Amino acid sequence: MEILSVSHLTKIYGEGETATRALDDVSFSIEEGEFVAIIGSSGSGKSTLLHLIGGVDRPTSGNVLLNGVDVYSRSDEELAVFRRREVGLVYQFYNLVPVLNVVENMTLPVALDGRTINTDRLDALLDRLALRGREGHLPRQLSGGQQQRVAIGRALMNAPAVVLADEPTGNLDTHNSCQIMQLLRDSNKELGQTMIVITHDEEIALAADRIIAIEDGRAVRDERIRR
Amino acid sequence: MNAMTNFTIKSLRANRVRTFVTIIGVALAAALLMAVMTTYTSLTDFLYRTEAATSGTWMAKVASEGSDTLAADLATAQGDPTITDTSVLHDVGFAELTPQQQDRLGRYQTILSGEGNMETVLGVHASEGRLPENDHEILLFEGWKTTEGLAVGDELTFNVGRRVAVPVEGEESSVMTHGEVRLGVESVGDNEIDIVAGTPLNSSIGYLDAEVDGSTFNEELVDLHEQTYTVVGFYDHVGYALYAGTGIVALTYGAPADTSYADVFLVMDDVQDSKDVKEKAQALFPDDHIELHSALLRFMGISSDTSLWTTFYGLIIVLSTVIILACVSLIFNAFAISVAERTSQFGLLSSVGATRKQLRRAVILEALCVAIIGIPLGVIIGIGGCAATFAILGPAISQIAGNGVVPFELAVNPAVVLIAVVLTLMTVFLSVWIPARRASSTTIIDSLKSAHGSRVSKRGAKLAAKATNGRRLWRSGGIVGRAFGVGGKLAKMNRKRGAVKGRTAAVSLALAIVLLMTAGSLNTFLGSLVNTVTGGYVTAGDVSVSAQFMSTQAATYKEPFDGPITAEELLQVRNEQFASEAQAFKGVYDHLSETPEAEPKGWTLSSSLPVVLPREMAGSAFSASKNGLGGPMQDGDCAAIARVRYVDDAAFDAYVRELGGDPSIYHDVAHPRAVGVSRAYGNDGSTYQLLTTLQDTGTVEAIGGAVYEGRYPAVLGISEGGVMIGGSMSGATSTDGEPWDFVPSFPRANDDVYEQQPTMEDIEYVSIDLEISALADEPPAVVGSAGESLMLVMPMSLAATQGFGMEAPYFEGQFDAAGGDHEQLAEDLYTRGTAYFHDEVPYDLAFCSYNDRIAEMDTTQMLATIVNVFCLLFTVILALIAMANVFNTVTNSLILRRREFAVMRSIGLSNRQFRRMITDECMSFGIAGLIPGLVISAGISYLLYAVIGQSMEGLMFNLPWGYVGLAVAMTVLAMGVSVAYGMHRCKADNVVEALRSDSI
Repeated sequence: MEILSVSHLTKIYGEGETATRALDDVSFSIEEGEFVAIIGSSGSGKSTLLHLIGGVDRPTSGNVLLNGVDVYSRSDEELAVFRRREVGLVYQFYNLVPVLNVVENMTLPVALDGRTINTDRLDALLDRLALRGREGHLPRQLSGGQQQRVAIGRALMNAPAVVLADEPTGNLDTHNSCQIMQLLRDSNKELGQTMIVITHDEEIALAADRIIAIEDGRAVRDERIRR
Repeated sequence: MNAMTNFTIKSLRANRVRTFVTIIGVALAAALLMAVMTTYTSLTDFLYRTEAATSGTWMAKVASEGSDTLAADLATAQGDPTITDTSVLHDVGFAELTPQQQDRLGRYQTILSGEGNMETVLGVHASEGRLPENDHEILLFEGWKTTEGLAVGDELTFNVGRRVAVPVEGEESSVMTHGEVRLGVESVGDNEIDIVAGTPLNSSIGYLDAEVDGSTFNEELVDLHEQTYTVVGFYDHVGYALYAGTGIVALTYGAPADTSYADVFLVMDDVQDSKDVKEKAQALFPDDHIELHSALLRFMGISSDTSLWTTFYGLIIVLSTVIILACVSLIFNAFAISVAERTSQFGLLSSVGATRKQLRRAVILEALCVAIIGIPLGVIIGIGGCAATFAILGPAISQIAGNGVVPFELAVNPAVVLIAVVLTLMTVFLSVWIPARRASSTTIIDSLKSAHGSRVSKRGAKLAAKATNGRRLWRSGGIVGRAFGVGGKLAKMNRKRGAVKGRTAAVSLALAIVLLMTAGSLNTFLGSLVNTVTGGYVTAGDVSVSAQFMSTQAATYKEPFDGPITAEELLQVRNEQFASEAQAFKGVYDHLSETPEAEPKGWTLSSSLPVVLPREMAGSAFSASKNGLGGPMQDGDCAAIARVRYVDDAAFDAYVRELGGDPSIYHDVAHPRAVGVSRAYGNDGSTYQLLTTLQDTGTVEAIGGAVYEGRYPAVLGISEGGVMIGGSMSGATSTDGEPWDFVPSFPRANDDVYEQQPTMEDIEYVSIDLEISALADEPPAVVGSAGESLMLVMPMSLAATQGFGMEAPYFEGQFDAAGGDHEQLAEDLYTRGTAYFHDEVPYDLAFCSYNDRIAEMDTTQMLATIVNVFCLLFTVILALIAMANVFNTVTNSLILRRREFAVMRSIGLSNRQFRRMITDECMSFGIAGLIPGLVISAGISYLLYAVIGQSMEGLMFNLPWGYVGLAVAMTVLAMGVSVAYGMHRCKADNVVEALRSDSI
């Protein structure tokens, strides 16, 4: 089943002579349960693409259909609700809320949605992310790898339609990078979580089912990896 | 330019808005300090010039009574380099004036002769002509010109003699001690002299009349000889030098000193305080009595005495402190935020090798840049603002504080400018020091990571560690929980676990409250003070006409009645006369009301009435005996002289209705009732007093028709321990604590009993019950100010039947000028009034006058205007500072957290939730700011109350609740605007951009 469809997505920053075409007519679609890596060099437009899919930015033209719904036909308020229900974001710099502890950070999207917390899922995630015993820690008391695991937990907590990860290993050493990618991989396999990971590292990309390459704002390659 | 300087200037330029706000803050601080201090120096300078112009620049006066060494001492003094100027005044003699002249100019013409620089040293100025230059020339009081028709150039001959004391028969061996110290002068040592038979009397000793004084001495003029002078000028202002105990002074120059009495006036240089002045004068004139010109010395800053000025100094200190605190907070916040925002920049700088010293220097340089522009700007604004304000208010201040003798001008003292500059610089550096230290002590890693975890307090970490139970996460109970949801819960966590930032905002809010309340308290207390100083409300009407009839024999019985009379009979005769006079005045008022352009506002009759005030009704004014209003008698009830005001029925009824009463009960002639004015204003010389005269309604006993020996009508006064207050009895001693009583006395005309001093027991009188049915704070507008005694207000209808035996009521009619031409109206009313009195009224006028309030620019209004303008300026500037501060901190605390907000929004925080979170946070630090703010401002309010209370007794301390409300409302408004702006900025941020802002 097709869960995400991107068609003719274009994003232009600035105006007139200084206008930069960050994304130029990009189209693709993703099936439910797929693990897709988007690769490209720095400035190729991959982060822009991710933000457009995640509903944190608006495209200049084109549209994004997630679960059959046109993301950008929504108002800002609806977009916020869309983000917390349908999208899980993982950033390179973790972006945890400094005053919230591990479990609070993880459950924030659920709380924002006003739903009760699925404690079974929380416990399972804490085990899976090896964060047991650190539930009450604040972000600054954690290492980078641990912080990123919390960020992943936050993205997974809501069982969103898609998890979007922007250079999730960009700030980590090799050991932690492997761990994080394994986690993402496992979540994809075991939970059937659709996942899009942005990276500039071809080796990391190889963990995915499918690689889409972006260059100068255009999708130049789209290949499936057979294992 | 080195790298750090370059960096600092670039960062100032990059943050244009904040740099601008900071410079404005510094400028405002400097301007306010400058304004407060310039007002102070200008006022002091003005008072000095006023004092110098009216009393001269002399600092010490040597009063030499028969000192043989005077001439030698004077020569020594004139040779002393630290004595910059001298002048000498001595008596030439006294000339007895004709009876007609005596009415206007006093008993004697006192002739003094001066030497030296009289114009500056003694403050003698000719209003016409010039000062005398030799002993044939004379300067006269203006009265000689207006009443005797003298002009400059005329010759005038006086029969001049010396005064000597003459004891009354049988008292030849008596001795009388005389001593006197005048206002504005500090007497050093004892200046009393003993008067015996034949003692020469100098011009400082008043006319001796044993009969009037109750003493044993009269005086006479001896050695009379004729002396002719050429009039060279007139003076119109009686300053210190031209005042004599014997009346009007004429001044000649360089006359030979034929008496040994002389005053030497000294101007000194190089003196630090009044002690120096005193010691120097004593050293030069060891044998003589010395007086210091303390009024002048005080304004020169030489005097150590500050009694009357404590309030003024206190106000300056309290206000300056508040201003400095406000500015420290404003500038401190601006810098703290600037540094916090750039923490990562500092991290970067130190990572590339900037030392702590360099970083600190960068921040201090930033402060200097701001100060170099801000402080001169502030000094100019402060002085300019004062100049503009004084240009408008100067004439009024000059009129009130110095009778317009000298103009009120801006006086800028370089030392004071320096103080203001240094204080502001200190403020700036104090504000910069802490952020600078913080900046330089931040580790590289911390500053590079600053966007991440640095906002959490230790306590926050502990709290966070406990909150791990999945089932209980995000549960928030209570109304707040329900109203604000997750947003509210987030806000609460932020508040509980976050460090510093919320606190800064709370501090700035508290400060805003403090500033606004300070302004409010100042307004309130100064308002009360002005009200008291000026005696309350402004009277209705542009022009008033007042008049009083001569006491007729029938009414007053100043002559003994031919035949016995009872108190009842006297009361009846007097009441009939009162009613008849009231009727006549009604005719006058009605006639005046028909004057073209006149808009009648009402009329009143007033007179004095002795009353016994039951102790439970008497207010605190009667327990403090020093204000002379009256006090408790032997039985505890109070003796008082009430001022009774009959007000025309229409105005009276409106007044009672305004008080919420029923006017009709006051018109019952069988049962006289009055409204009591419970407040009065007093002034005991050093403090102004707000007095409570009545504390309850009830019935007072009015005393009418007092008669002695069934034949002599008596006048009742009140006294404490037998000493008349306001009467002519002398020999007052301290009588504190002794019971008060009524004291009968007789008009002089009753010569056969005049000397008698009967008590109340010897007097027959009628007691009339007068019910005080209601109390009011202020009298009706047609009466105006509450005045200085117990006031009872009654309707005019009562005057026809119940005059309580009072005599010669004082009439006052109030009129507005319909067309605005009050001068014309005043003249018309006066002409019409005098004609009517002459043609239609059967009584002789004692006097008739008009008062053009607008033309005279009521001092009440001028003072009120000055105080209001001052308070308004102060309030506006403080409000600006407070609001700028709140805006700065609230906006910046939001903007600093933009990345955190972006994270939350990227994971689904909706705008509504965002708003709720911020609103909840604001409310909590709003409360955290309001409460201490209110507590501190109550403290400052009390301080201001205490300072102003030193000049005013009876000032009530209450928090100005209106201003509390206003302060809270303005603060909430400022916070609302700041939050709206901050949130707008955060929202306008592209989430994507904000998320990336962690890279430098």
